[in-house]
Amino acid sequence: MIDLLLTRYNYVAVVLLLGVGTYMLIENANLVKKVIGMNVFQTGIFLFFITAAYAEGAGPPLVGHGGPYVSPLPHVLILTAIVVGVSLTAVALALVVRIYAEYGTLDEDVLREVRADE
Amino acid sequence: MSDVPALLVALPILASVLALLVGQWRPRAAWAVAFLGTAVQVGAAGLLAARVLGGETVRYAVGDFAAPYGIELVVDGLSASVALLVAVVAFGVLLYSRVAGPREPAFHAQYLLLVAGLSGMSVTGDVFNLYVFLEITGLAAYALVASGESGRAAVGALKYLLIGTVGASLYLLGVGYAFIVTGTLNMADMAGTLGSEIAYTHPAVLTAFALVVTGLAVKSAVFPLHTWQPEAYASAPDGVSAFISALVSTVSAYAIARVIVSVFTVEFFRANPVAQDLVVGIAGLSVVAGSVLAVTQTEVKRMLAYSSVSQFGLVVAAFAIATERAVTGGTVHLIGHAVMKGGLFLAAGAVAAATGARYVSEYRGLASRRPFLAGAVAVLALAMVGVPPAVGFVGKWYIALAAVEAGWWFIAAVILSSTLLTLAYFARLVERMYFASAPTAAAGTADAVGATPDAAVADGSGETAEAERPGTPDRVTPGVVALVVAVAVLSVALGFAATDFAQLLRPTLPELLAP
Amino acid sequence: MTDVDSLRPLAAVLAAALPIVAILASHRRPNVREGWSVASALATFGVVASMVPGVLAGDTYVTDFGEFVFGVDLALRADALGTLFALLASFLWIITTFYSIGYMRGLDEHAQTRYFASFAASVAAAVGVAFASNLLVLFVFYELLTVATYPLVTHDEDAEARAAGRKYLAYTFGGGVAVLAGIVLAYTLTGDVSFAAGGIGGLGSADPTLARAAFALLAGGFGVKAALMPMHSWLPDAMVAPTPVSGLLHAVAVVKSGIFGVARVVLDVFGPETVADLGVGVALAAVAAFTLLTASVIALRQDNLKRRLAYSTVSQLSYIVLGLGVGAYDATGLAMTGGLLHIPAHAFMKLTLFFCAGAIHVETHTDDISDMAGIGRRMPLTMAAFGVASLGMAGIPLLAGFVSKWYLLLGSVAAGYAVFAVALLLSGVLNIAYFWPVVYQAFFQTAADADTKPLIENPFGGKATPSAVAAREDDPANPLRPDGGDRDERVTDDEETYAVDRYPSDHRGTDGEAADGNAAREGDDEHHGYDEHEDPDHHHDHGGGPPAGGWERRGFGDESTWFMLGPISTAALAAIALGVVPHSAVFLRIVDAIVTGVMG
Repeated sequence: MIDLLLTRYNYVAVVLLLGVGTYMLIENANLVKKVIGMNVFQTGIFLFFITAAYAEGAGPPLVGHGGPYVSPLPHVLILTAIVVGVSLTAVALALVVRIYAEYGTLDEDVLREVRADE
Repeated sequence: MSDVPALLVALPILASVLALLVGQWRPRAAWAVAFLGTAVQVGAAGLLAARVLGGETVRYAVGDFAAPYGIELVVDGLSASVALLVAVVAFGVLLYSRVAGPREPAFHAQYLLLVAGLSGMSVTGDVFNLYVFLEITGLAAYALVASGESGRAAVGALKYLLIGTVGASLYLLGVGYAFIVTGTLNMADMAGTLGSEIAYTHPAVLTAFALVVTGLAVKSAVFPLHTWQPEAYASAPDGVSAFISALVSTVSAYAIARVIVSVFTVEFFRANPVAQDLVVGIAGLSVVAGSVLAVTQTEVKRMLAYSSVSQFGLVVAAFAIATERAVTGGTVHLIGHAVMKGGLFLAAGAVAAATGARYVSEYRGLASRRPFLAGAVAVLALAMVGVPPAVGFVGKWYIALAAVEAGWWFIAAVILSSTLLTLAYFARLVERMYFASAPTAAAGTADAVGATPDAAVADGSGETAEAERPGTPDRVTPGVVALVVAVAVLSVALGFAATDFAQLLRPTLPELLAP
Repeated sequence: MTDVDSLRPLAAVLAAALPIVAILASHRRPNVREGWSVASALATFGVVASMVPGVLAGDTYVTDFGEFVFGVDLALRADALGTLFALLASFLWIITTFYSIGYMRGLDEHAQTRYFASFAASVAAAVGVAFASNLLVLFVFYELLTVATYPLVTHDEDAEARAAGRKYLAYTFGGGVAVLAGIVLAYTLTGDVSFAAGGIGGLGSADPTLARAAFALLAGGFGVKAALMPMHSWLPDAMVAPTPVSGLLHAVAVVKSGIFGVARVVLDVFGPETVADLGVGVALAAVAAFTLLTASVIALRQDNLKRRLAYSTVSQLSYIVLGLGVGAYDATGLAMTGGLLHIPAHAFMKLTLFFCAGAIHVETHTDDISDMAGIGRRMPLTMAAFGVASLGMAGIPLLAGFVSKWYLLLGSVAAGYAVFAVALLLSGVLNIAYFWPVVYQAFFQTAADADTKPLIENPFGGKATPSAVAAREDDPANPLRPDGGDRDERVTDDEETYAVDRYPSDHRGTDGEAADGNAAREGDDEHHGYDEHEDPDHHHDHGGGPPAGGWERRGFGDESTWFMLGPISTAALAAIALGVVPHSAVFLRIVDAIVTGVMG
């Protein structure tokens, strides 16, 4: 068991990141921190892909220098996913700014109370 | 001709940029660009549909990188119908938004971007590419929801964004699992590997299925993953909620179907009956829970949103049953629902613009004030309930028949009784429109208008009085009313056309469902 | 039996459906609007009647539009059974249209355009039900019929009407769901849902449990509209509708479409043989027997005339179902003949009764039987027709009800289920018990010396509470009645005005002046809320019952307008004709054709 944890610590990190991200998303009342939680969650997924790219005894298709080598495809995918993540964060922050301008608060509970009067 | 699938995606993106640029120069021109763009989109999708409905499959290798190494766009009967639906609804709602707004160039750019994302989701043959389009769709949808004036829209959009992103991320995680065990991202290739090289009961395959379906279920707002949806629909501008409600969940549900029948295939269910039981069970739960929640709503748009939760339960159940008849029924209902729900949101928007009524109770006596709008709402509502021969009935008939044939007695009972559940919330609306007279407050303020006009306009019901006063310029043009009525007529006419359509799907489906 | 390709079944539906547009379009001109109604009723009847000779000769007219869903055609098909129902519905529609004009104008009702349009839509749907060529098409029109009649039930737009409408929708759509489930099951079992005389072949050899389930779902679903107990309770509540609606739709079109559905299921889907083999026929007959006895007993205690008629309907409809259920075991076909003949027989008699109740309401605003003592002086022709029809209901010879009941009795005995014959006879006695007092007190008593009615006034258990009797003597409008519609009505009166009663009862005739008045009326009626109860104009003494000096005496024909008396007499005469010369009246011949077709 311990052995497994030590050789697969990347996956432990993935699970931790996913867990922490989800927890922040759900539990944190502050909207900005929710957005950060979303980012942490996505980072967990990025790490998962990067980790999965490692293949035992992999070699390059043409010329190699001894390795170790990883599959480039997940990296390319994650590059795309990171771009998507950045744009999502940008939109989310823009919305947060607008909410703050409108209601003067970033706290979800306060926001609920304010909006109850609408 | 074989480039058409790529055009479906590229064209709206180009038009989107163009709309933004042109809009800087002359704001009203952005609408014209969007109009042209969606019109060409309708033509392209129609061309494609005409070609593939009947059995042919069009494949397009993006950038000439042959599959499975490159990204492939695959258009068969199923995806062509969804792509055509996207184009047609986009075109129709755009006509509505000319009157109802928003009118900023940014809106039209986002709108076209959403069309691109949805079309991409419909035609792609690559699971990661699907994720990218899912996020493009999502980003455009978040921004569109937020394009409403109020702070409420921003809050709704942020909620939508957070939950939607989690959904898409879960999908991505599922793709990761599938990629690890199969080593490919191409749908057809993955389907070939699964089952032969990797057992369907492999834990990673099961995990991948669970994550992918859960992620897409978030996007199509199946109970209990629907929580983003009512607020997003209710807070968005009317045209946007019509568009989103008609398409975003629809295309996500299509993606579920695609993943089930084209990637994991029916064999997966045969090997893992528990997975099928779970999906069908949750879908059934969604039907019931969505209806119950809809009954408790007071705001019309929220009620319609919960109604979608319920209807998508039906669609997902159909796709999970995964027989030829079930998928036929699911597709018919998917398209029929898009037309009916889009029409209902348009009508709700038009009613709000005409009378200010946004709550169920404010619909009282609408029939006498707005006979055509009320009539359209009533027809659409009854079509949704499943009164034959409207399209809502035909879809339900096929799904129920498939459920009984496949021996899913419980879900068959849920599907059939969904008629009553749907009736429970729509009957309230129809009853108020036709059999309750307008609130007496309106008559009171109408008198007050004569004395102190300013005071009357200030409060909510004053708007009602204002719209009724003769001589007041109407905020709803006859064109909008005609559009809503046309959608209502369409919802009935589609009921007769549905079987011809199902006939066209017939060659496509056995190929998909063949083991 | 030869199938003839013909557009006539479609024409019959369209003749009723298309004028809806014209009716809506001419909403500002009541006379033109009613003209369209009458024309459309005549046209529909004409088209249906034109098919009768062919159908009697064994032809079947078919209009086929191709596939509706896979394996099921969208087709209309006028066979003998369908023609029976369509002929009945379209003929009675003509009578009812004239009556409606008298009734609606007499009461100065609101939203008459909606009323007439919905009426035409209902008849179109009923004709569609009649001519449907398979279960699915029948279901289509069956559901459309529900939708089309909903505005009629809710016509009054007050809380009571809305509650009744809600109940109506819930019950009938619930039944619709069961029907749909049954259709799905039947389709799964056989792959075919088209009607075929003697039944669809595959059902006899299918899994008996599933076949029984399909039968239960179909018969139960149609049974909701046929008001089989325990699914009957929407029918008495739906009596808040205007009386012509209660008459045509709740004694004829709607409930008969349910009966018609059961008939189709027994005769053309399962076939009598399969029904007998599965043992479901006797179950159906048992439910029917229970319903017809229980409903009769309940009817005894109803004080509101329309509610009493409603329970009588519940009871009489079960005669038909009983005939269909028992008929499966009866090789002579007598029970089947009796059951099917009871469809027109009951329709004519019940329509007469409802028309009478409506005429009384329009003229005197009296709804309760206990207020009707001596009313025969005021409305002699009406009450005479009422007497004729109620005797027919009880099955007195020379009237319509006798012939059908005679066949039913013979058939039940021939089938070996004499117990049902006993139930039929018992119910005949109960029929007299609940109808005779109405007729008797109308002619032979006056308001002053009316007998007490212990069955209605006293609570269950037979103990007369002295206070209740005393209260009634003090105040004739006292709401302390055990059950019946009257109390409900008074409760709602506190909060809202009964739409029917808001307007003065003086009759305006049907001349141009009244029509103009209606047009103006309708305009501002749109703004009259049911909650507008503070308007002093609308508060008048609307309690029914005799005027202070007792009912005045009027001659035959002076009691009301001929717009109402004409239909009443026509329906009553038709009821007599059916009893005296059943073979000349075309219905028995159609029924014979049906039974021969099914029994071979």
